[in-house]
Amino acid sequence: MTLSISRQNIYLLVLSVVLLVFVLLFAFFALIPEGKNYRMERLEMKKYEANEAQYHQWHDEVLEELQTLQSHNKHIIAAYDNIFDAERFVKMNSMYFESLQLQKITTKEDKEGFSVYEVNATSKIDSPSSFYAFLEGINKSDWIINVNFPIRFEREGSVIRSTFTLNIYTNLHEK
Amino acid sequence: MRYSFIAPRPKKIVTPELKLVFFFFGMTLFILFATYGFLLYKSHRFSQEVIGMNQRIADTNKSIVMMQKEIAMIKKSAAHFQKVATSNTVLKDSIKNLFDLVPERITLSKAVLEKDALILYGITPNKEVYEFLLQAPLRSIFHKTYSDFYPLENGWYRFVSTNYLDEEAL
Repeated sequence: MTLSISRQNIYLLVLSVVLLVFVLLFAFFALIPEGKNYRMERLEMKKYEANEAQYHQWHDEVLEELQTLQSHNKHIIAAYDNIFDAERFVKMNSMYFESLQLQKITTKEDKEGFSVYEVNATSKIDSPSSFYAFLEGINKSDWIINVNFPIRFEREGSVIRSTFTLNIYTNLHEK
Repeated sequence: MRYSFIAPRPKKIVTPELKLVFFFFGMTLFILFATYGFLLYKSHRFSQEVIGMNQRIADTNKSIVMMQKEIAMIKKSAAHFQKVATSNTVLKDSIKNLFDLVPERITLSKAVLEKDALILYGITPNKEVYEFLLQAPLRSIFHKTYSDFYPLENGWYRFVSTNYLDEEAL
């Protein structure tokens, strides 16, 4: 008995075997490694996505804290950024004094990292209560001012001549 | 003379059966390459996304660091302002208390306030009034108190009161 297989069928069989071998080789050497790579890349991306979301949330929290602080300390922030204007200061405080003269002493940096503009003030007041009012008002002024020692009060006829030192603080980066 | 009962057909290289087989082979290869291409494309996209996210995270981090610096600066300024404001208020209260301390019978001509000292110049009708009404309260505040008297023509006394606080008390 002879097995009769046509030439065409033999070609077909060979082609099928070649295709099968190619599919298997391609799957094992290209498709499966690339699939693994794809899964790893996807996992990595998910991790980064979670990380980014965390950073975003942190950013929002910090921004909210900053905005709250900025709105609560608007006056202070502006006051530390203001450059001292002696003329304006005298004008703003003229209601407390009969006369007020300022004389610049030095500009230096204090230990807390602020720039300190030191001014010697000579004034005439009609009663100590004017000086109390000045000290109360100074905390609401456009600058951060600390009235410093020595402070002298001396009677001059019907008025009191007072001399004192003013330390005006500003942020260093403004200089 | 005829040798066959059927009419001869033209013989084709690619038969319909072979076409079907090639179609399936083609489909297999197409699916295989399409899957591979898809995986390659997605992997590339993922790595691009990761690079982008990395950049965004770095930018966010930079922005957070800057905001934190600003927060620290505002907190430092607010604390400093509080210190300055308190110092001014304490100074006002101290000066007010000092002038309230001086009795009506004694007249001050000059007062010098230092960080650790108070020097008062004035006139008093007699030494007793000064000692009971001014020196006694000053002694309760300051650690060292010295007084000098200079008699005046009208029987009153000009006085200089020098008062010091110990350094540890500051």
